Amino acid sequence: MLEWLSGDPLNGAIITITFFISVIIGKYIRMKRSASGFLGISIDQRIKLFVLFFLIISITLMTHWYIPIGVSLVCILISIIANNFWDYSRKLVFPFVLSLFIIVIQGLTYGSTMVDIGIISIYKEGFEYGFLIFSRVFAATSLIILMLSTTCETEILDAMRWYRIPTSLIDISSLMIRYIKAFSTESKKMKKAQESRCGFSRSCGYMEKMHNIATISGALITRAFTRAEQVYRAMISRGWKHDQGSFSGHRSLNHSDMLLGFALSAGIIILLGIDMIL
Amino acid sequence: MHISDGILKPEWVFFWFAISAIFVALGLRIINKRIKDEPVYLPRIALLGAVVFVISVWHIPVPVTGSSSHPVGTPMASIIIGPFAAVVISAIALFFQSFVAHGGLTTIGANTFSMGIVGTFGGYFVYRLLKNISPLWFSAGMAGLVGSILTYMTTALQLALSLNPGNVMHYWKLYSLGFIPTQLPLAFAEFAFTAYVIKYIYETSSMDKINTSCPLDRFTKTALLLMFSIISTIAIGAYVGYLDGANMAGTDGTVEANAAPLASPDGIGIRLMALLGEPLGFAMVGITGGLFTGYFLSDLRRKN
Repeated sequence: MLEWLSGDPLNGAIITITFFISVIIGKYIRMKRSASGFLGISIDQRIKLFVLFFLIISITLMTHWYIPIGVSLVCILISIIANNFWDYSRKLVFPFVLSLFIIVIQGLTYGSTMVDIGIISIYKEGFEYGFLIFSRVFAATSLIILMLSTTCETEILDAMRWYRIPTSLIDISSLMIRYIKAFSTESKKMKKAQESRCGFSRSCGYMEKMHNIATISGALITRAFTRAEQVYRAMISRGWKHDQGSFSGHRSLNHSDMLLGFALSAGIIILLGIDMIL
Repeated sequence: MHISDGILKPEWVFFWFAISAIFVALGLRIINKRIKDEPVYLPRIALLGAVVFVISVWHIPVPVTGSSSHPVGTPMASIIIGPFAAVVISAIALFFQSFVAHGGLTTIGANTFSMGIVGTFGGYFVYRLLKNISPLWFSAGMAGLVGSILTYMTTALQLALSLNPGNVMHYWKLYSLGFIPTQLPLAFAEFAFTAYVIKYIYETSSMDKINTSCPLDRFTKTALLLMFSIISTIAIGAYVGYLDGANMAGTDGTVEANAAPLASPDGIGIRLMALLGEPLGFAMVGITGGLFTGYFLSDLRRKN
């Protein structure tokens, strides 16, 4: 019964050591992940932005659908792990519709080899080309959605500042982020207020509905103009300056960030190479 | 509907980026000038940027299709803050929209060109043309209508140029037809929306906030006017030729045969075109020639 104790101890020792070291590593990874919430959040936003742009350009260059579809599947998996799948799939609807539109037009009009699919005939070349574009759109959009789920807009703007994007653009963008949220909330409030006063009735004609929507928008714009100017004057009086130049408080990229950036870029180049070989 | 990442070929991605970057840079220059004189101009344009963002993701009813869609918003913005500033805010709005999977990061150049440049300037020119001969609401509404149609026609052209370079006109027509069921009713919705909004702002005495002045010098205005006139002539001429059965080959062949009959087929121009692709090659030639002319033109005029 205990013959395994009297035999070669090497295998037993190896399995014991690896098991317990893995237990410790696993616990450490779990602790680190729960501290940061999600692995993607701990990656520096400048690296994420660069890798995202590089990967999307590379996907655009790919001539086979396998790798873009692979990237999309990985993104789906990550969104499921991060409990973000519903939001992820909801945002995919617009690009999905556009790429389907392209598949249909290419499949029905481009190419020379006809293939019968039930009641309609499509061109093989057109369908393949359309599917390649569909896979690229799917992969690129998935990457962007994942990026935003792990990075907030202000972090992205900070990264852009680091990449020396003109300060005016960043300033307008920063203010825009504030106004977009305020504008959306305020327009919903005004719409509800108008509904409670019997506006937006179902019996309204089309022109009346348009008139209602446009009146709300017009009122919102004129009111927001005044409010935005007041807020801006208050910001200036508290020391805020337009065109402040580079953000001095930005920490420099550390070695592990740079290493990760290089590793990910190398991975993307390898993927491109594989696509060329295929 | 904006073009997503992965649809355009890389050469077209860079081409549209290059064109849009010029307009955005010009817009930023104008904005910076205005901010120096009037600091509250910054929150005003940022606010309009937010408006463009919100109304272009805010669905409105489209009666014919029974569905809903969104307006472009840039013609209205151009009436309120001027066309160049509207180009800048539309580029920023498109950047943020790419993060809600509406458009893309690599296609910001192409989308800015269609929505920000063509939609804005097209709408703005219509507004300026009609302003003095028709009621304000009508000229604003027409700006919205024309801006919206031009935006989607440009998107269709961008798709055709990149996806089907061998038969651009045929596919331009096809993509435009594909957009019609939703975009034509949408353009009429944009007409009503822009007309009512501008009318409301005017009636509530907030027109002093509307500043459509275009602080450009005479030289820039003349150059832009010439550019739009020549582009319109080329586009109309090519389309008329196409309807008459021509193959849309353009004037390159005629120029090559008459202007440079002895040019070497292995010349640097031909090799550059082969290397960069025709659009980027022509863009390079245009940029080099334009920079050279612009730089030395004032000297020449002074001598004369």
